[in-house]
Amino acid sequence: MYQYNEQDQTLINARVEQYRDQTRRFLAGEIPDEEFRGLRLMNGLYIQRQAPMLRIAVPYGLMNSVQVRKLADITRKYDKNYAHFTTRTNVQLNWPKLEEVPDILAELADVQMHAIQTSGNCLRNTTTDHFAGVIPDEIEDPRPWCEIIRQWTTLHPEFAYLPRKFKIAVTGGPEDRAASQVHDIGLHMVKNAEGDVGFEVLVGGGLGRTPVIGKVIREFLPKQDLLTYLEAILRVYNLNGRRDNKYKARIKILVNALGAEEFTKLVEAEWEIIRSTELALTDDYVEKIKGFFEPHPYATDAIDGLAVLENQLADNQEFNAWYERNTREHKIAGYRAVVISLKPHLKPPGDITDTQLDAVADLADTYNFGEIRSTHDQNLVFAHVAAGDLYTLWQSLRDLNLARANIGTLTDMIVCPGFDFCSLANAHTLNVADQINAKFDDLDYLYDIGDIKLNMSGCINACAHHHVAHIGVLGVDKGGEDYYQITLGGSSREDASLGKIIGKSVPQADVANTIETILQVYVENRSEEERFIETVRRIGVAPFKERVYAPVN
Amino acid sequence: MPLLINRAVADDHWLLVDEDNLSTHIDEDIVVPYELFAANTEALLNAKGTLGVRVNGDQDLNLLLQYLDKLALVAIEFPAFTDGRGFSFARILRRSGFTGQIRAEGDVTRDRLEYMERCGFDAFAIPADRYSADIANAFDEVSVHYQGSADDERPIFRQ
Repeated sequence: MYQYNEQDQTLINARVEQYRDQTRRFLAGEIPDEEFRGLRLMNGLYIQRQAPMLRIAVPYGLMNSVQVRKLADITRKYDKNYAHFTTRTNVQLNWPKLEEVPDILAELADVQMHAIQTSGNCLRNTTTDHFAGVIPDEIEDPRPWCEIIRQWTTLHPEFAYLPRKFKIAVTGGPEDRAASQVHDIGLHMVKNAEGDVGFEVLVGGGLGRTPVIGKVIREFLPKQDLLTYLEAILRVYNLNGRRDNKYKARIKILVNALGAEEFTKLVEAEWEIIRSTELALTDDYVEKIKGFFEPHPYATDAIDGLAVLENQLADNQEFNAWYERNTREHKIAGYRAVVISLKPHLKPPGDITDTQLDAVADLADTYNFGEIRSTHDQNLVFAHVAAGDLYTLWQSLRDLNLARANIGTLTDMIVCPGFDFCSLANAHTLNVADQINAKFDDLDYLYDIGDIKLNMSGCINACAHHHVAHIGVLGVDKGGEDYYQITLGGSSREDASLGKIIGKSVPQADVANTIETILQVYVENRSEEERFIETVRRIGVAPFKERVYAPVN
Repeated sequence: MPLLINRAVADDHWLLVDEDNLSTHIDEDIVVPYELFAANTEALLNAKGTLGVRVNGDQDLNLLLQYLDKLALVAIEFPAFTDGRGFSFARILRRSGFTGQIRAEGDVTRDRLEYMERCGFDAFAIPADRYSADIANAFDEVSVHYQGSADDERPIFRQ
């Protein structure tokens, strides 16, 4: 993974001291509240319902064991011994003290981490596929490009006061595990007719109040033009995006208002001017960054572990279930990518304790070249585990309550913290997640239902991406009571689509039962091997709606 | 209102005129609002004094880009510190070859000075209640830049 050089470290250290001075001046009354709000948000610090919340950046979801141990240590010293992973693959602390944040940032800087631009109306953390670099059919590893974007976005002087926040996701090929089509900019690595690799560029996707699927504005962008093209898009947005209404300020609104064609014209005209400037990438720089993402030194005899593994899978049904649900193919024979479930039974999705963080760091050192990835759906990934190590790794993870074999199933939910923590939320989410977990505890039932994506947001801001879930749950406030609106048929993958609302919202007590009814309709209607989303697409939402709202006899 | 030019406190010799007193001062060194410039472009360009124009994010910078060699100052208004359009305006003015003064006016306070300077501003009108003697320290808080700046267009990989 990328390692800071002296310049990177100087920048991060200077940013800590800059923020320390800003905090000092704020506490001394020299910076008005509203202005400090802008400054602290650009450093990831929110003021929440019960305490501040600090969002720490995990650039494109990649960490090493030293960093993860540091996170554990920070949760012990400054917080309540746990942290929470988000859909931007970042990590949040729920109980830091405002005055101590500069010290936390200084500790993070020691391990090449920071909280720069994790909130605010600026360029946010770039995300990518959590299986980047290990999936067999990738066109190219997207992570070097994410790092190039990270550097370009970090403390960009022109784009720190955009109309609204701005998020970029990159995929290494046609498969999309980064929800790229609902990002302000989605970049897909593609190969053109001449065999050159470049980027397909999508703009104007997004969720929130106005969910929109991004539009392709350029089918092929040569690699060396990546930053000039991004800069052209950002400049057009910065100058033309709406600033009078924050709900209409995202780039998706601008793209829709102008039309994709007109928007593209503006971008291309700006790009013509800057395409050949100093911002054009150099081969040297790209090669240097790529050098940080060379394949790990895989063991040539890892393949020998396959025979052992086969016996272990045959002998242990529980291990077998975990292997089937929580591991994925790796391009090197004899290795697997392992998803570490942060969706245990009756615990907040995405949460991890200090003890678990420390243990995960140790396991990463033993089994995964010291690397840990965070995923868009709030889990962790060990991307390179030798077949012969899987069983012992599984045992360790099981002892840590990190081996629930539910990846891709109904209980592998994306859930925002909701009303318990967030001051924007209209409704609770964590208790409903518990309700769903309690109801659907039977793994055999979950395996029978198969691949399904359930996301739940506590308000219309859609942090948990409910619009693009197969089953989306949105908390709403009805006269002081929590109600939940249900959508069906969304997807954040390469076949991205927005879910359709099935009808009036249901009371809190009925959410899990309603989901059960929906699943019954699926089971009755599915053809063999048909996944939930495919059935919904084939039969539409009407049969689900009919059953859910059927009069009770 | 304290004025910084090239990081140092400076006196302001420019006179801001409006429609009512334009004819009196037209041959002096004046700054005119964008609308006045748009309505009297010829007369202003032919006047004796040096000319500045005050512009904000709602106005069309392209009009000014046609006359950059005739302008000595462009004042860019920040109606609120959150309005980032002025950063792009300055950047576009510099890359279009403008060498005169680019002055930040309005909600211009310490924590944006560094970014403003990197985008091409060299003059800053700071509200008196937000001015402090050590304000110029703000320009050097972060010495490493991944992106190019107005005075050095090279991003980090070409530095």
